Amino acid sequence: MVPILEVQDLHVSYRSSGEASYAALAGVNFHLMPNEILGVLGESGSGKSTLATSLLKLLPSNGNISRGSILFEGKDLLCAPAGELEQIRGKRISLVYQEPSVALHPALRASEQVFQVLAAHESAGKSALRQKTRQVLASLFPKEADRISNSYPHQLSGGQRQRVLIAQAIACGPSLLIADEPTASLDSTTQKEILGVMRTLRDELGLAMIFITHNPALLAGFADRVLVLYGGRVAELGLARTVLSSPKHPYTRALFQSMPQILENTRDTRKTKLPVIAGDSSAAQLPLEGCVFEPRCPDRMEDCREREPAVVNLGESHTVSCFKYGG
Amino acid sequence: MTMRRPLAKWLVILGVLHAIVVCAGFFAPYDPIEQDRKNPYLPPMPLHLLDAQGHLHLRPFAYALKLREGTFDQYEQDTSQSVPMKFFRSGAGYRLLGFLPSRIHLFGSEDARICLLGTDAYGRDQFSRLLYGGQISLLAGLLGAGCTLSIGLCVGAAAGYFGGWRDDALMRVAELFLALPWLYLLFALRAFLPLSVSPLKAFFLIVAVIGAVGWARPARLVRGVVLSAKERDFVRAARGFGATDSYLLRRHILPETSSVLLTQAAILIPQYVLAEMTLSFLGLGVPEPAPSWGNLLSNLQQYSVLVSYWWMYLPALAMVPFFLGYLGLASSLQERLEPYKIERRSPGSLA
Repeated sequence: MVPILEVQDLHVSYRSSGEASYAALAGVNFHLMPNEILGVLGESGSGKSTLATSLLKLLPSNGNISRGSILFEGKDLLCAPAGELEQIRGKRISLVYQEPSVALHPALRASEQVFQVLAAHESAGKSALRQKTRQVLASLFPKEADRISNSYPHQLSGGQRQRVLIAQAIACGPSLLIADEPTASLDSTTQKEILGVMRTLRDELGLAMIFITHNPALLAGFADRVLVLYGGRVAELGLARTVLSSPKHPYTRALFQSMPQILENTRDTRKTKLPVIAGDSSAAQLPLEGCVFEPRCPDRMEDCREREPAVVNLGESHTVSCFKYGG
Repeated sequence: MTMRRPLAKWLVILGVLHAIVVCAGFFAPYDPIEQDRKNPYLPPMPLHLLDAQGHLHLRPFAYALKLREGTFDQYEQDTSQSVPMKFFRSGAGYRLLGFLPSRIHLFGSEDARICLLGTDAYGRDQFSRLLYGGQISLLAGLLGAGCTLSIGLCVGAAAGYFGGWRDDALMRVAELFLALPWLYLLFALRAFLPLSVSPLKAFFLIVAVIGAVGWARPARLVRGVVLSAKERDFVRAARGFGATDSYLLRRHILPETSSVLLTQAAILIPQYVLAEMTLSFLGLGVPEPAPSWGNLLSNLQQYSVLVSYWWMYLPALAMVPFFLGYLGLASSLQERLEPYKIERRSPGSLA
């Protein structure tokens, strides 16, 4: 099968005041097959959102894609003219932002917001588009589509707003959905509900999805493959069950150890200190040479300080960038 | 709901004031340029209900004026000759709202004229001139403000939305315009043009100049609003769904500037009416015989008029209710549209 999206050697940097610039992404490679969910995992500042926005060339004005290519259905998006990108955004690739409470226009009804996306991309008549808007909203709100359609965002709950955003995203039948922490501001039962919705959409519409999160627990049983991002580099990439059950990269391991244990499983009611990864991943703290994780790595070696590790293939499309495995 | 009341109040007040000026033909008893050379500088004629003998009349009347003995410009009321006021009387022809021909006036009289605010050097009725003059002055203010705000909106939106070198260039030009002394600019502009221009040309010249000079401030305000509006999450989200620049400007960004624009309009209109008055006062505005609030006052440039005929000042008072109305509207608009910017202390709070 041909991948629907292929990202090769993507470098993105941000210019801050003056000449100083720092790299948010440095050499990201991955591909996405049709109908596949790729979970992107990383902490704040690891470049998750930069990845999401650079895929559609929606970086803020001080952001710059310095190198690499983004092949979507065989076409390089980085070379596409602005008009063509506007046609791709929302129609072929949709981006769902993280805050459903502020990503909807406060003064337009839910149905109008979905309608506007359709109107931007489809040439059918108004009544046909209204009809389609109703269908899309009905598919996401089987019970009270009419009430939700006529509501303003402030009249909806967080989960309902997120569904309206998803309705906007799938209205034109895209083949790729990029979701940037879509559940970050929702409570856990609503998170589960939204994950269920996204999974159903994948199965019904055959969408490919890039699901960005900082919470590994969301990816279990949801994502097909997991990409772990650290300091703008791919630390580990592999099938979800392999990466989540037996992580190889020291960062992934440390990250999973930092998750609170569920009390039932530990049978230990004494207070224990949550393990944390010492150090800090802000851009200023990242080493200029060697492996970016080296200062915080529990398994650091001599080589780590001198050069960057290469990608090691551990089989079953599981890759790790670490000297421990040969790098 | 309590927020709506002051706004509605000011709107009603302004509506009534403007209706009077717009329908000047009906409310003014005489043609504003009709001369009566035999009666220059008549003082205002008071209206009475009680006559000299103490009888009550239901119909208001004025006394005709006669020259006081031994003087040549002092008038007194001639109590033997009363001029009753006649309502809805047919008089000089005019066009209501510029197209409806009519001869009906709110009031008039049969023999002598009733000049509520006196007459000027040519015996023209000051009251009629005041109402007609308002048409020109207010229209100049409205058109000028419309001009300024449209230029300001376009420039501000372009600078704020596109940013970068366009922003820098437009804002430097705006600063240049802020620093220009517009009165002298106008003198210079006027000096280029022939000495006598038709009233219509002069009018549009004024509108164009005051409209073109003041755009810098609204442009800067609009730019600020656009800068913050375009970074809103729903704007970024819309872009993610493929919204074009023109769609974003139209639906998401420019609606946010409406509060700034409305408030600016309510501030700029009286300011521009005043600008028109200044220009006409200095003789750079609408030329005689067409009346405007500015050239009604220009008589006061003569010292003899200044000291002898106090009623020539009265047109200056006419603008006061208009200005109060607009400023009240501006402040209640601001309160209504940007309530979070106004600090409200509850009566019981400390400090």
